[in-house]
Amino acid sequence: MEKNESSVLVIGGGVAGIQASLDLADKGVIVHLVEKEPSIGGRMAQLDKTFPTNDCSICILAPKMADCYGHPNINVWTMSEVVGLEGSRGNFKAKVLKKARYVDENKCTGCGDCLEKCPTKGLPNAWEQNLTTRRAVYMAFMQAVPRVAIIDPEHCRFLLEGKCGVCKKVCKREAIDYEMKDVEMEFNVAAVVVATGFDVWDPTPSTEYGYGKYPNVVTAMEYERIINAAGPTHGHIQRRSDGLEPATMAYIQCVGSRNLKTGHPYCCSVCCMHSTKESMLTREHIEGIKSTIFYKDMRACAKGFNEYVERNKRDYGVEYINSDATVQGQTEKGNPIVSFDIAGKSQQKEFDMVVLATTLVPAKGNVELAKRLGVELDEFQFFKSSDRTLEPISSSRPGVYLAGYCAGPMDIPESVAMGSAAAAKAMEAVVQREVSQ
Amino acid sequence: MSDDEKRIGVFICHCGSNIAGFVDVPAVTEYVKTLPDVVFATRNLYTCADDGLTSIRESIKEHKLNRVVVAACTPRTHAPLFQGVCQEAGLNKYLFTFVNIRDQCSWVHMKEKEKATEKAKDLLRMGVARARLLQPQEEARVGVTSAAVVIGGGVAGMSAALSIADQGFPVRLVEKESELGGFVRQLSSIYQDRKDAGSVLKSIIDRVKGNPNIELFLNSEVTAAEGFVGNYDIVIDTKGKERKDKVGVIVLATGTKEYIPKGLYGYGQSPNIVTLTEFEGLVKARKLPKMSSIAFIQCVGARGQDKTYCSRICCNVSLKNAMNLAENYKNVLGLEEAGAATEAATPMEAPAEGGERRRGRRGRRGGAEGSEEETTLAGPKLEIVIFNRDIMAYGIEHELTYNKAREKRVRLVRYTPKNLPQVSVEDGKLVIDYYHETLQMQRKMSPDMIVLATPLTAQADAKDISMMLKVPVGQDGFFLEAHVKLRPVDFATDGIYVCGTCKGPADITEAVSQGIAAASRACIPLARGYVQPEALSAYVDSDVCSGCGTCIEVCPFSAIRKNEQGKAEVTIAACKGCGNCGATCPENAIFMNCYSDEQLLAEAKAALQEVKG
Amino acid sequence: MSDFEPKIIVFLCNWCSYAGADLAGVSRYQYPTNIRAVRVMCSTRISAHIVLELFKEGADGVMVSGCHIGDCHYINGNLFTERRVKLAEELLKLTGVEPGRLRLEWVSAAEGERYSQVITSFVKQVKDLGPTPVLKDPKLATRLEAAVEAAKSFRSKTLTSKEVKLTGKGNVYEEVLDPKKYDLIIERAIEDEYQKSLILTLSNHEARSVKELAKEMGQPTDQILDHVVALRAKNMLALDHIEGTTPKYKAMVGGA
Repeated sequence: MEKNESSVLVIGGGVAGIQASLDLADKGVIVHLVEKEPSIGGRMAQLDKTFPTNDCSICILAPKMADCYGHPNINVWTMSEVVGLEGSRGNFKAKVLKKARYVDENKCTGCGDCLEKCPTKGLPNAWEQNLTTRRAVYMAFMQAVPRVAIIDPEHCRFLLEGKCGVCKKVCKREAIDYEMKDVEMEFNVAAVVVATGFDVWDPTPSTEYGYGKYPNVVTAMEYERIINAAGPTHGHIQRRSDGLEPATMAYIQCVGSRNLKTGHPYCCSVCCMHSTKESMLTREHIEGIKSTIFYKDMRACAKGFNEYVERNKRDYGVEYINSDATVQGQTEKGNPIVSFDIAGKSQQKEFDMVVLATTLVPAKGNVELAKRLGVELDEFQFFKSSDRTLEPISSSRPGVYLAGYCAGPMDIPESVAMGSAAAAKAMEAVVQREVSQ
Repeated sequence: MSDDEKRIGVFICHCGSNIAGFVDVPAVTEYVKTLPDVVFATRNLYTCADDGLTSIRESIKEHKLNRVVVAACTPRTHAPLFQGVCQEAGLNKYLFTFVNIRDQCSWVHMKEKEKATEKAKDLLRMGVARARLLQPQEEARVGVTSAAVVIGGGVAGMSAALSIADQGFPVRLVEKESELGGFVRQLSSIYQDRKDAGSVLKSIIDRVKGNPNIELFLNSEVTAAEGFVGNYDIVIDTKGKERKDKVGVIVLATGTKEYIPKGLYGYGQSPNIVTLTEFEGLVKARKLPKMSSIAFIQCVGARGQDKTYCSRICCNVSLKNAMNLAENYKNVLGLEEAGAATEAATPMEAPAEGGERRRGRRGRRGGAEGSEEETTLAGPKLEIVIFNRDIMAYGIEHELTYNKAREKRVRLVRYTPKNLPQVSVEDGKLVIDYYHETLQMQRKMSPDMIVLATPLTAQADAKDISMMLKVPVGQDGFFLEAHVKLRPVDFATDGIYVCGTCKGPADITEAVSQGIAAASRACIPLARGYVQPEALSAYVDSDVCSGCGTCIEVCPFSAIRKNEQGKAEVTIAACKGCGNCGATCPENAIFMNCYSDEQLLAEAKAALQEVKG
Repeated sequence: MSDFEPKIIVFLCNWCSYAGADLAGVSRYQYPTNIRAVRVMCSTRISAHIVLELFKEGADGVMVSGCHIGDCHYINGNLFTERRVKLAEELLKLTGVEPGRLRLEWVSAAEGERYSQVITSFVKQVKDLGPTPVLKDPKLATRLEAAVEAAKSFRSKTLTSKEVKLTGKGNVYEEVLDPKKYDLIIERAIEDEYQKSLILTLSNHEARSVKELAKEMGQPTDQILDHVVALRAKNMLALDHIEGTTPKYKAMVGGA
């Protein structure tokens, strides 16, 4: 656009990063949006619906992803990460490493011919929570933006052994490029927005829940994919052990969070609500299902949330039991047995399926990224703000701003608001730079 | 409609074999050439590739095309690309039509080539029928007044004003009271780090007062606002003195007030039964009475008791005050004289045993929540009990405070709506009868003071402001944002934004975030200097319009108003082209720019032509 | 009947259903070729008269598909869609065309498979009904023409558009109307409008007596007389001539 030539670097293409990018780009600022995955969209793209309105997650996000990718002022760099940041507010020099995708983004039409022909099958599909498989050349997910295939260099036969080349043969656009190299780029930016999101805690090491041991114990993120119409089971709710539809389900809250042993004494802020949502939606999928939510405190504390929980109890018959719960075995049929307390008395009950509301934790890359950016993390490795009360958006380094879950637990609207807020702080840096020049 | 000669060019994509493998593209191309006004038709291996785009560009010139149809994948991903090419070649982008023959044809009919080909022909016929009726559109560019007004001088409003100012735009900050600070002015401390509320406020107020871009209006209200995004005429009333002003955007940050628990838990029957905010006031003024026990009751009038919602912050405010009393109580009670304020806090010994047990809770069999709380009172000087339904200690700090409180001597007693604690006042003595859920028995306590945590509620004038600006309030009386997930600080109406507690309970940090977020959104039209919506808007034929106003009621964006003639008029800058008014108009006086009845019917009817034979 | 290939028009909203239809393609969910999709920004755009017009032109089926309730990109456009499709359905019933030829569906951008299922089932439903009777039956066409006009009438448009507000937020007195009662009001109004439109359509080319109209429409003569009086008062119908003792009426072209 016309008046500003200043740029801002946004790290992370989830909903917070997308919002920050769009706000800045709409003001005429050039945005470099750096995303380490092959598609933007982040965690929200994986979710089925969103609480408390049960909006379809990808339906409301996809237009934003498309706007972001297509925006004339936004350069989306997928498969990329920031490797260095020099300078100061108003005048940073950022180094970005774009990893080889081995597919030309400008040529690939997303037709999927290569996906069907690739002979290397059966690789775990991490985006689908490993509930299904992909091939060595694949699409990040159906609604990926950009809709461009990617080759997994760790499994591609041609890249490993120099043999095969099937994808190259079937691609009529000649988009496959085995020679593609990682590229390092440098951008001059006035400010940086960090929006790297979260990881989902893996409950395998924790023995209390039988995850990994009992097949019908799943994590909430797995369940989001199971219940999703575009997911690996096409939205049919099936048990991992036998593919049968469950008739009773339990949701266990605070798995890994509010728990010193796992190193996550904090509350993840969202799982009371997503379990409420999941149990509600399950009832819409399976008539007559009986669901129970085991919780410590039902934290339904934002707009419409308490009403949502009440509705779930009243209209969807979901039972809420105020108790810790663990999974202490399974029956012959593979039904997990849940132990809990009522009025001080220990009880056990079997369920057809158990969903663990596993906590959300700081992204693994935070430590390394914080080092590269020269900013501080808090004791849990979330990005630390310069003042908890009045400067929640500012990191410890002037000119580097924070948005979304990377700064601490929050839900989607808070992440979006913080994305906008980080854009505002970055814009202030841009404006002040121009005034001083 | 213009009666210019229509010259339509059609470009059909093979998409490698993605389309051509399942649809007979050459046959479709030959068929298209027979359609009325089609002067050129070709097919490309990939229309989106350079050679395809070049062919569009050159054909527009060579064949003097004034309509372009591309039949390919889907407009959702590729329409902007082709529209851009048309534009480059001098063809208005609104004269472009996309026909989806891949995602919605070849890919879904992979085993029926003949029928898929027939369908593709029909779809092209429909596209051409639509193209014939398209008109060039100019995207209206409307200038923007480069200034903002922020209504409400609390933390959210001040944060918004500061950020707008620091993004380079003049701001009028309008505050009803004689001082800035809003709700926080009533508080003694902020729960993050229990900082003194006054000094936290002072730091931000000083920045506001020192910012040359902010013009402050105290004792003032915005009493009128007319216009649309980028162009609002407002009136700021300062004690009867009116100032007329023009602004481009409006930010609402009108804050909240505390719910008064009339008739609940003995409120009003004793000076020692107070609301949470009244309690804060007593602490702030160092006017707390001496006491040996205190009870907080949470969710008073909230979560279904009167208001349906949870007020989000009160658990944490009660916890903060409980901790403050436990650790620092001499000072809090006002037993120390003025100089003592600087004295080090005298933290109470943590009853290690209780804390330990608490920690070991997870996975423990037998004994439920609450049972150990009875024993955590070893050697207390002040008994502190919080009656609660759930402790809303979300996130990091609140949960850590919650943990600490449990390690101190704060007793947390859970109650359910079925068994509310009963408060009575007997000869000035306060008594709470309560049911202990874990012990499953009725208990009693006689605190010296009862603090009722009541919810934040909408301001009394929220409805008036909502009517003045034509923005909605929700059932709870708070302002209702455009979308609860993805547009948290926008209203559906462009140019008006919302932040802080006027849209729902929030703490000071959340109010700051939202304030700055609203500033970001509000500065978009200001930074661009104009608004230029897609030319999809509705048009009113004022000769036909009867001024019934039905369209005004259905427009979700307040983009229609009555003009001086009493006729409906669309504010193009605010219209998003959904077509609700077009389908609504009882006089059929409204038509949609790119989706008129005529165009839709022509497109759809074209599908039926073959049937009719 | 097995070789009958119906032609079905499907209106898809840009944000959810069109995206869902694309997803069906991307995921290669197959469905019958009989549908012809028309994209609109919001399903709310589709007035009842557009749907009826397509039936008049010989569509075997029409489907309108939008975002699920609550998901609308334009906040609540689909609430209005619901009312408009209901209006079209009511009128369709009055004309005698099977209401099963019209369907309203909510399909989200994630429901590619569901879209293919919805289409498959609707195509089957229409196939089972057989080819549209409209093209072979001029009387049906006349009735549909009247239905189109009735759908365009001030009363039916106002009533359908105000329903969301009146049964949700309430009227100016903040009275919220019972949706069932409102349904009844609409139903009666629509029937009334339809009969008036049919009188005008029937008497458009040739003058008709009240008795002829009553017979043609299968309605009691006193009811038709009421309508004729009302239409004359609005200058939409005029006495053309008197045949014997029977007055014959003709529609005023252009109305007034």
